[in-house]
Amino acid sequence: MRSGEFHTTYRADMAIFDTARARRVLGVFLVVLFAVPLVGSSYWLDVLNRTAIAVIAATGLNILTGFTGQISLGNAAFLAIGAYATAWLASHGVPFILVIPAAGILTALAGMVFGVPSLRLKGLYLAMATLAAHFIVEFMVTHWDSVTGGVNGTSVPPPSLFGLALGSDRALAFLILPACILHLWFAKNLFRTRVGKAFVAIRDQDISAEVMGVQVFRFKVLAFGVSSFYVGVAGSLLAYHARIISPENFPLSLAIDQLGMIIIGGLGSVLGSILGAIFLTLLPEVLRLLTSALSGEFPALVQLFAPLKLGVFGITIVLFLIFEPDGLAARWRRIRNYFRLYPFSY
Amino acid sequence: MHSIRTALFVLCAAAAVRAQAPAGGDIKVGGIFDLTGITSDVGKPFAQGVRDGVSWTNENGGINGKKIRLVDVDYGYKIPEAVAAYKRMVGDDKVVMINGWGTGDTEGLKAQVNQDKIPYLSASFSGHLTDPSKTPYNFFVAPSYSDQLRAWLHWVKDDWKDKSRNAKVAFFYGDNAYGKAPIEAGRRYCKEIGIDLVDEEIVPGAFQDATSQLLNMKQKGADYAYINVTTTGVSTILRDAKKLGLATKFGSNPYGFSEALPQVAKEAAEGVTGVVPHVPWGEKVPGMKRLMDFHQKNHPADTHDALYVRGWTYVLVWTEALKRADKAKALTGEGVKAALETLKNFDLGGLTEPVTYTATDHRPSTKTPIYQVKGGKLVKVAEYDMPRKPEWLGL
Amino acid sequence: MEFFLQLLLNGLVVGSIYSLVALGFVIIFKSSGILNFAQGEFLLLGAYVFLAVASAHAPIGAALLLTFAFSAVLGIVLERLVLRPLIGEPIISVIMVTLGLSSVLRAIVQGIWGTDTRPLPSVFSLDPIQLGPLPIARGYLYSAGCVAVLLVVLTLFFKYARPGIAMRATADSQQVALSMGISVRRIFALSWSIAAVVSAVGGILLATMRGGVDGSLAVLGLKVLPAVIVGGLDSIGGAILGGLLIGVLENLSGGYLDPVFGGGVKEVAPFVALVLILMVRPYGLFGKVRIERV
Repeated sequence: MRSGEFHTTYRADMAIFDTARARRVLGVFLVVLFAVPLVGSSYWLDVLNRTAIAVIAATGLNILTGFTGQISLGNAAFLAIGAYATAWLASHGVPFILVIPAAGILTALAGMVFGVPSLRLKGLYLAMATLAAHFIVEFMVTHWDSVTGGVNGTSVPPPSLFGLALGSDRALAFLILPACILHLWFAKNLFRTRVGKAFVAIRDQDISAEVMGVQVFRFKVLAFGVSSFYVGVAGSLLAYHARIISPENFPLSLAIDQLGMIIIGGLGSVLGSILGAIFLTLLPEVLRLLTSALSGEFPALVQLFAPLKLGVFGITIVLFLIFEPDGLAARWRRIRNYFRLYPFSY
Repeated sequence: MHSIRTALFVLCAAAAVRAQAPAGGDIKVGGIFDLTGITSDVGKPFAQGVRDGVSWTNENGGINGKKIRLVDVDYGYKIPEAVAAYKRMVGDDKVVMINGWGTGDTEGLKAQVNQDKIPYLSASFSGHLTDPSKTPYNFFVAPSYSDQLRAWLHWVKDDWKDKSRNAKVAFFYGDNAYGKAPIEAGRRYCKEIGIDLVDEEIVPGAFQDATSQLLNMKQKGADYAYINVTTTGVSTILRDAKKLGLATKFGSNPYGFSEALPQVAKEAAEGVTGVVPHVPWGEKVPGMKRLMDFHQKNHPADTHDALYVRGWTYVLVWTEALKRADKAKALTGEGVKAALETLKNFDLGGLTEPVTYTATDHRPSTKTPIYQVKGGKLVKVAEYDMPRKPEWLGL
Repeated sequence: MEFFLQLLLNGLVVGSIYSLVALGFVIIFKSSGILNFAQGEFLLLGAYVFLAVASAHAPIGAALLLTFAFSAVLGIVLERLVLRPLIGEPIISVIMVTLGLSSVLRAIVQGIWGTDTRPLPSVFSLDPIQLGPLPIARGYLYSAGCVAVLLVVLTLFFKYARPGIAMRATADSQQVALSMGISVRRIFALSWSIAAVVSAVGGILLATMRGGVDGSLAVLGLKVLPAVIVGGLDSIGGAILGGLLIGVLENLSGGYLDPVFGGGVKEVAPFVALVLILMVRPYGLFGKVRIERV
């Protein structure tokens, strides 16, 4: 049971990691996290990288949908914009330190353009508009051959630091993990500022927020911008990771997957984005391990793997929504509080 | 509740142990197949052919006594999945070569396989994979798509009887790397032999209705049209063409034309021609006996087609290369590549043309048979041998 | 001119099937306020079940009846199991649940029947009938005819039949309907099963026209969304008109703009139309304007 917590300043009270113990646990976790790229096998590094990229993208989406209440089905389109911007800039020799933020800013601008309909549209209709945006961006990407390489896709040169190509998963992990941590830290702090609180006010009841003096349209567009920046950076890292990108890398199911991540993780919670992204990235891997281990006995399983993946994803979403609508973050908080208050947890 | 938990735990533990079971002396070969994606109608029989070929090899002495372990995966024609599977196979499973599938992913991975030195035998016959100076580790077992299109255009020239004008041809192809692979070669060859290419129509990856594209083609007045998609797409186009009452004669590449086409397209498939580099199932050639015996013994109730035969021919080619590499004590990626390049007129018992690879030319064969659907059956009508022109290498 | 007319005709016929599916969407939305992203999968399941029964050499009539019965039951079961627990949840949860449902249904279809195209026993010959200068496939004409009949029946149902009027009442205000003695629970179940049956009809018609059944039928669910929004989410007439408009738009843009852009315009044109209508008239041509009160 946690005891000895005694804050004397507002600052200490509002800290994210408010006890020494929490800070210690965080430190250990970070050390372990950065040790993984040093010792892990190339396949699991690949999984780690993909998970970290998913965490960034899910956090971006959560900022928009979970914290500001603007439903967006256009995440795949924004990832595509970030990825192709990266491919184009990198192939023109721009160093990756500049490419990644530039891709993020470009995507943020695109996001703000797509955010304009949010002035008039809400809920379902906004979701439809973002869905249409996805198809339109897909069309543009497929047909703008000179920049995107059309359906054949385009290859992305690896990021290079002082002449060294950092293309392997091991090296990329040292780029992706810090980027991920940076973005999470920024998101967590965003919602302790005026801007973040304005976002939440808009989600809760935007008409009342307008009455109270929050410039709703401005902040909605800003939410789209910030969220798209995150997704653009994720897309950029995805491009460096995948090395070859084509329109097939960004199907609509990717956007649905990410929506699933934040719903399973928990809307309106940074921890939720992390948990949801990890859960939904590892789920197919676990499934694959199971099927490959059992495929000796049941050879038909290899063919069933793709529908199984799809079906398990769908069932997970449905079950979570029915039984755990607040997501993994809420469940985690409940478990954590149980242990914190033990034996007085009732 | 408790017992379910225990059972689940035991299951997972067993799976974990099994996943790490040592292979011991087995030769690992990767297999990337499309069993559920947009080309699964042709991907499934091919995968079955490869699996059966591997089983048969293992039953008949393996590779100089060593067994082959096929690490196969279904990637649903999604390039990112293929890339992930490739990383897994090379990084974790340490395969010595890979039997791949689609054009998009093969062309996407070609730089990587070159770097990792993994021989990649793909079911994609893209002409872009034939030049060893660009893609030294890519191979396939058939004339390239470009040579096939050239052969078909040759047939068109021979079939066109009107001397007053050139034949008018249209290309239908899918909006992806596979669809576009032979088109440039086709455009140039049309100019070379005096055929007018009047129209090019693009169809999306999965489509239900080709009417507007066909109407466009009708306006341009094409006499012949070559379709470069898979059987399902070809069937849709043929049926829509029949509904519009078009007189255009259609032809297709070997992934759109097999015994399955008359079954799916029914009367719309009559008179359609196609490139058939691997013989239809049951054709009277010496190599067919081995396949039929295996089929009788293991799954006599299944039906098979030319795609199944294709899978077998791939296994026959790379197991031979593995045997040669093993004899030379060089069972590595480079060793297998070198072994493949020693294949000269390697006979496949008539299942397909004999295969020759050299260090400067990865085109295995250039003779292309053309078949036609007559009375619901595939009948051979012509055969063309494209010259091995150096300027066509890599196109 | 002939080119234009041919495209127009084709668009109207394909659009009639879109209208049918759009109707399914609207029926569910009208009564329970949910946009069912799994509608395409209802179509898919209907077509596959029909295929399975017809391949077992059952007469066509029995196959149709069985398929309708199956779809009706499917609608009721899904409504009870999945949508009932989510009453009152925010709209994003409902959208996600239907998306999850669509994944599950598609996975079930893929798992049982695989992804091959299964040929349907041929019902219509492929030779076209000549309507003036334009050839039109027999199957298309029958399909358009079926859809027209069905649309008339449904419109009359909603206007004059007691369950239909009850559904409209529930759509207007659930509480008032309850106080008037209408069993809202039964209305929900009824609307879902009608929508499922209507989609199944659409699926069967589409499959007969194409000659085969495969997974890509479900794509229709997404394609019809522009039709539904253009017409208005809670208007039956709007759904019909929207479907026809989108069908025509698709074919005309495909015919005239595909050569300009090198393909793909057919798929994206309905979504451009969607964006335009959302900017100009978000509630669609015939939809009811929602007034939000704090």
